[in-house]
Amino acid sequence: MHSKRSFIVEDLRKAQLANLLTQGKRLDGRSLLDYRDLKIETNLISKAEGSAKVSLGNTQAIAGVKVEIDEPFPDTPDQGILIVNAEILPLASPYAEPGPPDEEAIELARVVDRGIRASDMINLKNLCLIEGKKVYTIFVDVSILNVDGNLFDATSYAVVSSLLTTKIPKYEVKDGEIKQVDEKISLSFDTIPISVTLGKIGNTLIVDPDQEEEALMDARLTLAVDSDDNIVAGQKGGAGSFSYDEVIRATEIARLKGKEIRSKIKEVLGIG
Amino acid sequence: MVVIKRKYVIPGDLITDKNYKPLSNVIKIDDKIYSTRIGLAEITKEGVKVIPLSGPYIPKVNDLVIGKIVNYSAFAWEVDINSCFSAYLPAQNVFGKEFSTSKDALSKKLTIGDLILARIVSFDRTKDPILSLVEQGLGKIFNGEIVRITPMKIPRLIGKKGSMMKTIEKGTGTKLIIGQNGVIVIKGEPQSILRAIEAIKMIEEGAHMQDLTQKIRDFLGIREKEDEDGETDQ
Amino acid sequence: MKMGKLINEEGLRVDGRRVDELRPIKIEVGILKNADGSAYIEMGKNKIVVAVYGPKEVHPKHMSLPDKCLLRCRYHMSPFSTDVRKNPAPSRREIEISKVVKEALESALILYDYPRTAIEIYMEVLQSDGGSRCAAITAASVALSDAGINMRDLVVACAVGKADGMIILDPNDIEDKEGEADMPLAIMPNLNQLTLLQIEGKFTKEEFEKAFNLALEGCRKIHHIQKKALMLKYFGKVEE
Repeated sequence: MHSKRSFIVEDLRKAQLANLLTQGKRLDGRSLLDYRDLKIETNLISKAEGSAKVSLGNTQAIAGVKVEIDEPFPDTPDQGILIVNAEILPLASPYAEPGPPDEEAIELARVVDRGIRASDMINLKNLCLIEGKKVYTIFVDVSILNVDGNLFDATSYAVVSSLLTTKIPKYEVKDGEIKQVDEKISLSFDTIPISVTLGKIGNTLIVDPDQEEEALMDARLTLAVDSDDNIVAGQKGGAGSFSYDEVIRATEIARLKGKEIRSKIKEVLGIG
Repeated sequence: MVVIKRKYVIPGDLITDKNYKPLSNVIKIDDKIYSTRIGLAEITKEGVKVIPLSGPYIPKVNDLVIGKIVNYSAFAWEVDINSCFSAYLPAQNVFGKEFSTSKDALSKKLTIGDLILARIVSFDRTKDPILSLVEQGLGKIFNGEIVRITPMKIPRLIGKKGSMMKTIEKGTGTKLIIGQNGVIVIKGEPQSILRAIEAIKMIEEGAHMQDLTQKIRDFLGIREKEDEDGETDQ
Repeated sequence: MKMGKLINEEGLRVDGRRVDELRPIKIEVGILKNADGSAYIEMGKNKIVVAVYGPKEVHPKHMSLPDKCLLRCRYHMSPFSTDVRKNPAPSRREIEISKVVKEALESALILYDYPRTAIEIYMEVLQSDGGSRCAAITAASVALSDAGINMRDLVVACAVGKADGMIILDPNDIEDKEGEADMPLAIMPNLNQLTLLQIEGKFTKEEFEKAFNLALEGCRKIHHIQKKALMLKYFGKVEE
């Protein structure tokens, strides 16, 4: 699965995991469909309009939201702009390297971005100030601080949590001009998309694989589910394959786990 | 007792779901045997195999190959054998055990661009192939025309016990040196060489055909059926 | 912005197809002399050339893997392949597609048969239309079998989408841009295994299952065309 110097799991652990999986258990004691501990802190970067640090087990991601006023894209003159990006920092793992993002980092950023965007979490029409001239551009940048598997979900939760707690400056439109007023407003939300990543090891499906499991798994499937249980985005990764039944089962697991994690995020952020 | 003879297959085609032994270019998944290549599937009592019609040359110990010297050091030549692995020809396998670096200069014996007929004496997953010339008939090839064909079709060109090769040699008045790696050297008069090349190309294009031997005989104007049937001998 | 209806009153699409109909597909095998395997595909307006080189020596040497073949894959769009000129440098989209396409094909390749070597797959989109990654995968697996690399199965890909609330097979450019959702997928048709799945846009539970099955059906039809192209090239005729 990896071309560069990468994480290698001892054969002993491999055998141990295979043995445990037959009993529905994993190396760290989790059941097949258990997530690791999810911790979320918000508003820790005061210079950002929104921020969130997410820990999923030992995987840590921090997201910051910055807002600018820009011209809209020519093909969507009545919509604001949302840009989600992610980067694996060189300090995040002994295997991470400085330099331009490699295919894995690019995939991570694009898959997380699609999950948020395709869900219509943020109504971009609400972010238009003057059609064709002035719109809000919302940048969400995520930095991975520590790598221990399942960067997709950790990154996605950081983006969602930071957006849910973002307060953007308010503008008034007068005579075709915009003027900032001394008030901050929250973004309005139509839905909360939740990313659920599954791994396949042998013929067993697990959720939230850690780094060791990722090194041993045949394939990955990341699915994003919105508040109405729709699948809004997905991406298969890894050199292995899934049977058609496994894909359908994965969508069921994603709906189930998506609901759980959505409640958890809402609870932590105090959203009703 | 042949159960299936020469069924055209492509990768993923199910050859049989009966309990046979998978031999070559097939894969057994859940008791079903599928082809992994484009080729001709055969089921015999020994098992199931596919004779491929395309693909790279993967070295095998004991194969005769025709290679080109591309580099050399004080101890060995590096030889391009038309494969994903570079071959090495150690000096001992040319000069014999008596080889001494001070006495024998490699470049005097073989130099870059030289063509050789050599035998593969060792090769496995972890090591590049090693060649040897220590055997009657091996060594530098001084003249002739080079032709390259898909290595997978060499067995068809040779034929059963060399029958196809003999047919071409007799029909064109040439001498063929055939490397398992898909490289062929033809010796003879210029006109004869051209006819031999044409016959070889016919074999390459028609390797999947049943009546290939007869087609080649017709092309070369050999009427009497004096040769053995030129079937693939693999 | 919606251009208007993508499906008319008679249930026909902008290019006149029914919702479950594929665009015309043409596949040719062995079109590049220098490559070890090659294929050309037309799928709607897509025109894509695929070349396979290898197994070959790995450069740089330290990249080589002791137990299996290193697979490299490049999906690239020519600057003239799109309505607006595309910058020839690989975009983030192309890098991501190269990765998922590589993984989709790797599922089928028996890379352990070629240790310490590399296989390179080059896919050049000469003209793009909806579903270019799917067409590229379909052609690449044909090129890989032309190269004679050991494969468990062919890989065949097809997309499904959603337009005007209807599930549609094999979306074209307009349907891709104006439609509500898109789901490209690839399978190994004999082994019944999924090797690529990407989803963008809303699918309810029912829609997802309907779309998934429609895509599988599309893949099976395209598999037939792959087989025919290979049979024609190698055996000069089509069986069945």
